[in-house]
Amino acid sequence: MTKFPENLKYAKSHEWVQKLDDRFRVGVSTFAAGSMGDVTFVELPEVEDDVDAEDSPCVIETVKSSEDIINPITGTVAAINGELEDTPETVNSDCYGDGWLYEVKGTDASEYDALMTPEEYTKYVASLED
Amino acid sequence: MKRTPLFEQHIALGATVGDFGGWEMPLWYSTGQIGEHEITRKACGLFDICHMGEFVVKGKDSLAFWQKLLSNNVEKIVDGQAQYNFMLNPEGGVIDDCILYRYTAEHWMLVVNAGTQDGDFEWMKQNTFGDVTIDNISEKMGKIDIQGPTAPKVIADLVGRETIEKMKFFRFLPEVMIDGKPVILSRTGYTGEIGFEIYCNINDASALWDALLKAGEKHGLAAVGLGGRDTLRMEAGLPLHGHEIRPDLPAVGTPWFFAIDMNTEFTGKKALEDNEGSLFVYSVIVEGRRKPGDHAEVLCEESVIGEMTSSILAVSLEKKPAGFIRVNKKFEIGDVVTLRNSRGKLFKGEIVATPVLKGTSRKKMSVMLDK
Repeated sequence: MTKFPENLKYAKSHEWVQKLDDRFRVGVSTFAAGSMGDVTFVELPEVEDDVDAEDSPCVIETVKSSEDIINPITGTVAAINGELEDTPETVNSDCYGDGWLYEVKGTDASEYDALMTPEEYTKYVASLED
Repeated sequence: MKRTPLFEQHIALGATVGDFGGWEMPLWYSTGQIGEHEITRKACGLFDICHMGEFVVKGKDSLAFWQKLLSNNVEKIVDGQAQYNFMLNPEGGVIDDCILYRYTAEHWMLVVNAGTQDGDFEWMKQNTFGDVTIDNISEKMGKIDIQGPTAPKVIADLVGRETIEKMKFFRFLPEVMIDGKPVILSRTGYTGEIGFEIYCNINDASALWDALLKAGEKHGLAAVGLGGRDTLRMEAGLPLHGHEIRPDLPAVGTPWFFAIDMNTEFTGKKALEDNEGSLFVYSVIVEGRRKPGDHAEVLCEESVIGEMTSSILAVSLEKKPAGFIRVNKKFEIGDVVTLRNSRGKLFKGEIVATPVLKGTSRKKMSVMLDK
């Protein structure tokens, strides 16, 4: 069974969220990064964009498809991973580290609490693979 | 879902698998889709195509049968030659695209797509006449493709240079031994590169795959999934059934005019004449780095004139977004069209010549062997 990092929480659409001091970092899980194939371009939001939960402020382009990232946390974009402009493939190779997407200053802590724990996400992914 | 005999070998090579026409097939291996595409253009790729369908047709009336059933002039090919064809319905729609192999005037093989083979078989049976027998050998036959500039060297190492050095494009050898197993060696393919489609007994497919992987090691060979196959065929200007060509649309205005010979009489010909000028298929290259997506609308002065039939990345053309569009208006090379995706985002696409990339498919075999 695939293991997912313990320090993160997860959305059903396969984004992960890391709680930092005053903001939340967003990326995609190995499940998403593995199933979408080679990432060729990432369209990121801009810093200071207001984003609602369920918005799609970020698009990941692969060879064949365009994957909308469903934003998990309502708030304001505080930072983006500009490195992805030149090295979008980092999303494939290091999705929990240098392949992060953007950070949000959240306004509603309950959204983070409602995300899946690593255990819950592991079970959820296993149910998809059956 | 169905699996080919090579499924476990794909998993061992780190394959990510997905559904293709009811078959669980490798989409890419640990190399990744872009790497596999590039290896096929530079060295060579190995493809599991066991899922495709094959029919053997025999009988004194088989030539007349093909001439009625298929869109090309089948009298143009000789023993040992293959030909690309459309099988059309009376409305001019494409039931399937296929390759016809002539052993003799009374012995043929037709190779068709995986998802369409049952319907093809029914249609063929309904249309037989006189002395024609059709045998569906799809489940008994395996198929492995080897494609790319170094593919001839891999095969020469296995069968001897003299066996293949005079082979021309779209010719085949009906019985060659590879690793002690009889195969049909066909100089055809779906990538735009020189190479072979190898047909074998389904029970030999697994051993043959390993023999080809091993022989390919010193020639830079890698296994390539259906993802890479799709980007390669798009650049090579080849259609994918269900996208560029479909049963419900007449096969007019396509870049694949070489599949149709209007000087012969065949099912669907009248519909093609009646619908001439109603549809056009073009290759496009899209500005920017985002893809519009399959079924993105094509706009002309704010009205929808068609759709994108394949939206993909042209990996060998600086990874530009590209693909095919089908529209109801004629364009010239260099014209620019507007595309709109399902979220309303607009893109600019330039009409370009098909194919967008010229590979080694037609190069002289001996020249490729000497490189």
